[in-house]
Amino acid sequence: MAKQLLKLNFEFKAEQPMPIKESLHYGVVGSGDMEVIIEKKDLAGKAKFQVVTPVVGYDQVWEKVLGRFIDESNLGNISVEINDNNATPEVVSIRLRQALAELAAMKA
Amino acid sequence: MKTWVDLQTDSFLDANARQRAIGLVDEGSFTELAGPMDRLQSPHLPLLGEAVEFDDGIVTGVGLIAKRAVFIASQEGRFIGGAVGEVHGAKMVATLKLALDSYEKMKKDNPSLPDNRGPVAVISFETGGVRLHESNAGLLAHAEVVDQIQKCRGKVPVIAVIGSKVGCFGGMGFVAAQTDVSIMSPFGRLGLTGPEVIEQEMGKDEFDSSDRSLVYRTTGGKHKYILGDANYLVEDSIGSFRQKLSEVLSLSQDEINAHRRIGSLRLVENQLNKVRLSITLKPKDSKDVWKYAGNDNPESLVDLSTSDFLSVARRLKFMAANEEV
Amino acid sequence: METLLGQGRAAIDLIIDKDTFVENEVGTLKIEDPDFGPGAVIGTAKLNGETVTVIANDAMVCNPNFPVVYAGIIGMEEAYKMAKAVYHTIEADRGKDTLRPIVLIVDTPGNGPGKQEEIFGMNNATGSYQLALAEARLLGHPIVAIVVGRAISGAFLCHGLQADHILSLGPQFGTMIHVMPISSVARITKLDQEFLENLAKSNPVFAAGPQFFEALGGVEELIDDINSIGQVVTKHVSEVRKLKKDGQPTGPWARGILGFERGGRVMRKKVMEVMNQEFASVADKYLSA
Repeated sequence: MAKQLLKLNFEFKAEQPMPIKESLHYGVVGSGDMEVIIEKKDLAGKAKFQVVTPVVGYDQVWEKVLGRFIDESNLGNISVEINDNNATPEVVSIRLRQALAELAAMKA
Repeated sequence: MKTWVDLQTDSFLDANARQRAIGLVDEGSFTELAGPMDRLQSPHLPLLGEAVEFDDGIVTGVGLIAKRAVFIASQEGRFIGGAVGEVHGAKMVATLKLALDSYEKMKKDNPSLPDNRGPVAVISFETGGVRLHESNAGLLAHAEVVDQIQKCRGKVPVIAVIGSKVGCFGGMGFVAAQTDVSIMSPFGRLGLTGPEVIEQEMGKDEFDSSDRSLVYRTTGGKHKYILGDANYLVEDSIGSFRQKLSEVLSLSQDEINAHRRIGSLRLVENQLNKVRLSITLKPKDSKDVWKYAGNDNPESLVDLSTSDFLSVARRLKFMAANEEV
Repeated sequence: METLLGQGRAAIDLIIDKDTFVENEVGTLKIEDPDFGPGAVIGTAKLNGETVTVIANDAMVCNPNFPVVYAGIIGMEEAYKMAKAVYHTIEADRGKDTLRPIVLIVDTPGNGPGKQEEIFGMNNATGSYQLALAEARLLGHPIVAIVVGRAISGAFLCHGLQADHILSLGPQFGTMIHVMPISSVARITKLDQEFLENLAKSNPVFAAGPQFFEALGGVEELIDDINSIGQVVTKHVSEVRKLKKDGQPTGPWARGILGFERGGRVMRKKVMEVMNQEFASVADKYLSA
C-alpha cells in the first residue's frame, strides 16, 4: 500500500514548432497548485513533458491539458517539468499560460 | 511579470518567497543560489507520496544593499507550510555559513574592514518549524542553524523579517528570537506553540484558536513590538521592510548588538522580569500586558494603522539596576 | 535497573561521583527560591574527580506558577534557570586554560505550551538556553548530553542538540527520541502504520527512536550497559576535549557530517556543495567592498 509520487511522461509536436530563448521556472507547489520548469532542448521540434504528482488516475486529463497548451503556444524543442500538488486542470492551464507570459516578458 | 519597482509597493504578506528575496535587496542585485533549476528536491517526500518542490520551499541567495552583501534565506509558506526538512534546512544553514565565510575572507583581505561593511544575513521566516515527513532531519538542521547564528555573532549581523501568512513558529520561533535584529509587520506572527496546540492543552475557554483577533494579539507584530521581541514594526509592503533593513545595515556592530533580545546573562535577567510579570499579572489576554506597559486604552490599539500605532503605543520597560538607559 | 525514564535525579547520581552534587550552585550563582523553575535541576558536581556543571530535568514536580509545566516540561523559568547555569559556568572559568564540562541529562517531553508562555515568549526562554550552550561549546567547554528518557522535538533541540556529543541509552531502556511517534505520523500522512514502520528500516528520517537518530548522525553513541553511563560520559568528555584541541568539528555541524557518513542524510552535503560552488562563481560581484 505504499504511496508513491507518479511520474507521467508526454510528448507533443506543434505543426510549426516555435523555440524559446531562455529557460524559466514559474509557480509554487502550494496545495492545489503546481510549478513548472521550461527548458530549451534540441528535440527535433518536439515538446516533452514530465509531470510529478501524488494524484493517481488523471493521465488522460494531463494529456489533454498539456496538448492544448502546445496547440495554443506552438512551442517546440522544449523540455517541461511540472511538480504538481492536486492542481485542477483549470489551474494547470492558467499557470502554463502565466509561465508563457513570463517567457514573453523575458524576451522583451 | 512583476518588476522590482512593483514589488516595493506589493504586500509583503501576499508575496511569495522569491518575490520577498528579490524585493528586499537593491534592484537587480539578487542572485539565487541552489535555485529551482538545480532541482535539489527532498529525497524523502516521494517515499511518502507527498508532492515535491524544486527549491524545497526555500529561496536562498545573495544580493546587495548599498553595495553590502546580503545573504538571504526566504521560506515559502505555501509549500508544506514552509516546514524545514533536510534540504530546506541545509539551504538555510549554508546561507548563514556563506555569509560567515565571506566575512572571514573579507576580514583577512582587509583587516581594517569597517564593521558595517561586511556581509549580513537575512532570514524571511514563514514556517511552522520541523517538517513532519522528515522530522528527524529537520530537527537536526534546526540545531545547525542555531550553531551558525552563534558563530555569526559579532561578525555577521543576522536579521529576522517576519510578515508572512504562516508566521514563524515551532523550532524556527527560537531561531527568530536568536537573531540580532527582528523586523515585523502587524501581520507577522512569532511564537513557539501554534494556536491549535494551545487550545488542545488548555481548553477552548482559555484559548479559542478560531478567534483570529485573539491569535493576532497573542503572537502578532503589534504585541511583539510592545513586548520588545520585535525591534521594529513596519507597514505591510516589501519596500517598508527593505527600507528598515537598509537603515539597520548602516548601524555599527555595537548598535546592532544593542538590539538583541536574548544571548547574554544580562538579557536573561531582563527576560526574567517578564516571567515575574507573568506570575503577578496573570494576563487573560495580551491587552492586559499592553495596559501594564502604559497603554491606558489597549483595545484602541488593535485596529490602529501601523503609523498611528507607532506614534501612540508604549512599550514594556523594566527598570533594572544593571541595565543601561 | 531497567529504565531511568522520569528519574532525572537518579540519573544524576548514577553518572557523577558519589555524593558530589551541589544543587542550585554554579560558580557565583546561588538559586535560593525552591519554587523557581523546579522542573530544571542545575548544579555542580564531580565527574571522575573533575568539577562539572550538571543540567537535568525533574519529571516528578510541577511548577506551582505555570500549570502547563510538569512531567519534565521545560517552562520559561526552567529554561532561564538552565541558561543561567550555563552563563555562570562560562563566567566561573573565564580566562582559565581548562574549561569545565557541562553534562546535560535529558528527559523532557516538551516546552511549555500555554497561553502565558506564548504571551511572554516561550521561544525567547528556551532560545536563550540554546544560545548559551552554543556559546559555551564554542568557547571550549566540553558539553556532553545523555538521553536517559524522553528527548522530544523542540525540547531536545533546547536541551541536548547543542552539545558537542550526544549519547543515549538504547531503546531497550525506554528512551524516546522523536518529533512525533509513528502512530501520529501515520494519522497525519494517512499512511498505514505498518508500512511506515517498514519504511523506517531503510529511511530513518521520520522514525521515532534513538537508533534512528543514531543512523542520521544525531546521536554519537548508544549505550547498552546502564551502569557504564558515568564512564561513557567521562570518555566522551575527554574525546571532545581532544577533538577541540585538534581543531576537529564537534556539535551540530559535526553531526551533519556524521549523518552523511552513516548514510542517513546524504542531500545535506550536496546542497552545501552546490551553494558554495554557485556562490564562488559570483563572489567577486558581492565581496568587493
